[in-house]
Amino acid sequence: MTRRQFVAAPALVGLWRKTDRPITGGFVNDSSPLGHRLRDHSAFRPPARQVRIPVVIVGGGMAGLNAAWHLDKRGFHDFVLLEMEQRAGGNSRWGENEISKFPWAAHYVPVPPKGESLARELFEEFGVFRDGKWDERVLCFDPQERLFINGHWQEGIEPDDGASAGDRGQFRRFQQMINDFRATGQFTVPMDRGLNPSALDQLSMADWLSQRRFDSTPLRWYINYTCRDDYGTLAKNTSAWAGIQYFASRESEEKGPLTWPEGNGWIAARLIEKLKRYLRTGEVVYRVVHSGAKVRVLTEQTEYIADAVIWAAPTFLASYIIEGAPRAEGFQYSPWLTANLTLDRIPSQNNPEPAWDNVVYDSPTLGYVNATHMTLATHIEKTVWTFYWSLAEYTPADARRLLLAKDWNYWKEAILNDLARAHPDIRQCVAHMDIMRIGHAMARPAPGFIFSEERTRWQKPLGNIFFANSDLSGFSIFEEAQYRGVEAAKRAQRLVSQA
Amino acid sequence: MSIALFLSVFLIAACGLIYELIAGTLASYLLGDTVFQFSTIIGCYLFAMGIGSYLSRFLHRGLVARFVSVELMVGVIGGFSSSLLFLAFAYTEAFRFVLYAVVILVGTLVGLEIPLLMRILKERFQFRELVSQVLTFDYLGALGASLLFPILLVPKLGLVRSALVFGIFNVGVALWSTYLFREQIARTRSLRAGCFVVLALLGTAITFADDISNAADNSLYADQVIFSRTTPYQRIVLTKWKDDLRLFLNSHLQFSSRDEYRYHEALVHPGLAALPGARRVLVMGGGDGLAVREILKYPTVQSVTLVDLDPEMTHLFSTHPVMSALNRHSLTNPRVHVINADAFRWLDTNTEQYDFIVADFPDPTSYALGKLFTTAFYRLAAKHLASGGLIVVQSTSPLFARKSYWCIVDSVKQAGLRVYPYHVYVPSFGEWGFVIGSFAPYEPPHQLPAGLRFLSTRNVAELFVFPVDMQPVPAEPNRLNDQVLVRYYEEEWKDVAH
Repeated sequence: MTRRQFVAAPALVGLWRKTDRPITGGFVNDSSPLGHRLRDHSAFRPPARQVRIPVVIVGGGMAGLNAAWHLDKRGFHDFVLLEMEQRAGGNSRWGENEISKFPWAAHYVPVPPKGESLARELFEEFGVFRDGKWDERVLCFDPQERLFINGHWQEGIEPDDGASAGDRGQFRRFQQMINDFRATGQFTVPMDRGLNPSALDQLSMADWLSQRRFDSTPLRWYINYTCRDDYGTLAKNTSAWAGIQYFASRESEEKGPLTWPEGNGWIAARLIEKLKRYLRTGEVVYRVVHSGAKVRVLTEQTEYIADAVIWAAPTFLASYIIEGAPRAEGFQYSPWLTANLTLDRIPSQNNPEPAWDNVVYDSPTLGYVNATHMTLATHIEKTVWTFYWSLAEYTPADARRLLLAKDWNYWKEAILNDLARAHPDIRQCVAHMDIMRIGHAMARPAPGFIFSEERTRWQKPLGNIFFANSDLSGFSIFEEAQYRGVEAAKRAQRLVSQA
Repeated sequence: MSIALFLSVFLIAACGLIYELIAGTLASYLLGDTVFQFSTIIGCYLFAMGIGSYLSRFLHRGLVARFVSVELMVGVIGGFSSSLLFLAFAYTEAFRFVLYAVVILVGTLVGLEIPLLMRILKERFQFRELVSQVLTFDYLGALGASLLFPILLVPKLGLVRSALVFGIFNVGVALWSTYLFREQIARTRSLRAGCFVVLALLGTAITFADDISNAADNSLYADQVIFSRTTPYQRIVLTKWKDDLRLFLNSHLQFSSRDEYRYHEALVHPGLAALPGARRVLVMGGGDGLAVREILKYPTVQSVTLVDLDPEMTHLFSTHPVMSALNRHSLTNPRVHVINADAFRWLDTNTEQYDFIVADFPDPTSYALGKLFTTAFYRLAAKHLASGGLIVVQSTSPLFARKSYWCIVDSVKQAGLRVYPYHVYVPSFGEWGFVIGSFAPYEPPHQLPAGLRFLSTRNVAELFVFPVDMQPVPAEPNRLNDQVLVRYYEEEWKDVAH
């Protein structure tokens, strides 16, 4: 007698419970109405007061928070951080209910290897990296990932179940090529450090795979999945440079990633706590105007007269708000849908045990992450799942239209149907489902964008305005946001101290 | 034609015997006492066949249709017999009633088969030849079944599937008869429809056979079950055979009352007796109160905190007359505080220090339980150790799971503690391992409490000596993000029956 799982009893009970239970919930954190007001130059109240301040940071996501972190650390305190939402965090925002905290978007950071000194510095400050060692409690617990394929779960996301010797050979050959790319030192995090013009950017990842005779179905599914997961794009719409960057930029000495029940909300919460004296939430910046050597930043509450502005909001918003800013041509953003499902019962399942990241093979969605995975407890009766869907098969504009056109019930049913493939009793387990629609969630590294003139021009300041969003890297990940935020902060501080 | 006929005799005879064997095997598995179970089941079954033979005289017309119906009924009842029995054992209190009801029902129906068949065939054969042939094939079928059952069916198909497969044979014979004797029956079509329905039922059940036996096999215990309860955390089962009480959690043996003193004396005394000044003790796991019983033998110990996940478990061992007698009412002792909580989480929010900590958790059979054997857990436990204090960890068997054992030892070491591994022989478990962790150098005690049954000052130091076949093997430490222990453990225990 080895490991016994008491599986059939709940399944048998499930047979009698035919009727579906009601599921509560709705759309949450909708920012599109405000976004559309900014886009359409709707009327905003004029500010009631004027404040002179050396630096204004616009946008309280990871880039803005890290710009503030850098300034504060260097002893520079004369700045404010403006966030239009009621809470800062951006793509690292998080939620909490009576069961667990949970992420709304970004939910992990790969363990930063030696070269990533900035990320290591931040985590050292937060006490999870000490004497060259990572705190075991924030490294994703075992088992990390699993894939539902051929009617059951396998450990790990690389499809192995049903893979032929040929498939495995292609996986090995792909890994070998990635190792070679890594050895060139051109694929780094942050990407600026190793960046070297490359013809790979002119190809799509799918075309590059075909050129290199990678035709294994499981391998191509896997690579397509990584593109959808990290960039919100299909492999055929992703720059091959970016597709390779995903694999070749990191080689960690520690099994990870770093994660928390609330995902990167953990990082955001710590930054917010540390920087709360600078933070102004609920302040919508609706106009930014150069005026002599100064920059006027207008919100409905205050007009800030600043020496320098750090624009940490998405770059495409600049042309709607900053006077004289050109349109951010070439910048594309994937819309996303995330849902947090409250489960008051764990679906019955066979081995292997539930993992942190749970993916269904051949599903258009990205699967779900279990918020209670990082608990120290041995026994879990209720949990929260964060479900991710990048709608990559549509053009961004079509996907945004679809997101707004369909009601909550439509998305709820779509999500449950997707999950029911792996969890037939899912409808008996879910009590509540909140859905968040993000119109411009992540920058898309389309072929040609990484080495384009459009992308690089925004790295130069516009007057006294420094751009800091992670989209300047062509894709949205924590480390790029941190790097861009800190770089912009350095330049803004230099400008202010010269003045 | 005649060969075909006698082949069906062979098949139905085999089916009949298989159902009898299944009932006997299941009853011995579940209730123990093989001799009693097989005797009574064979007796009942043969007696019921007699009833069937007797009843056959009351059937007059439409013999073929009756025969087909009987076959269908045997197919259904016999085919589902083992599923029904497993589930009855797992979910009802009326297992014996169901068992003998099934045996008598199947026996009666099987008893009808041969008399009916002989009457159907009596027009086609001479009486002398008929009796000889039918009985020959009947006994041949029995021989085939009795050989097939232990060699092929039980090991390859299992009890649930075997019954279903033979149910299908019965229905096959029924279906075949509707063709063989088509001129002798009126309602061919409805009978055939019945056959197909039953075939579909049995076929479907075969695909779910694993679920059925999984649902029930948590209840497979050799001895008489005197208590069983499924709590939100685990399935608690107590069995008794003569004077031997056994506790199973999720079908894993936790102790046998015959030799648990060896385990619990070895768990507690090498550590605690070496700490003459120990006042505060923490026990994690061990809701049976047996480790606490040993700890209470030290009058200097002022308080014992017992943290166990399952309130039903500590309640049972506080109140059940037999169980609380076994732990000498340790859980209701005023020096003892029982806390029902998840140990890792509880320890994380607690700031108390202890002189002696006992980590007596179930073996790392899952990633969830494996967390309690990680470097992160031991690091946290070490923070709760008073200076000069000791922690002792239940560490599975260094003989059956050698790599797992040394992995646990290494994990304690990685938490910054000195380690002192030792082991003891517990007959119902085999060789069992522990490890003491401490900041200061440790030496086995020179004094022990009075009245111990296994440990003495003469043999306590010997526990720390490892024979060649249990000596250290290289193993990675077990970490939250890389639980090598769960994989070692599964690999090592896979082939060891326990």
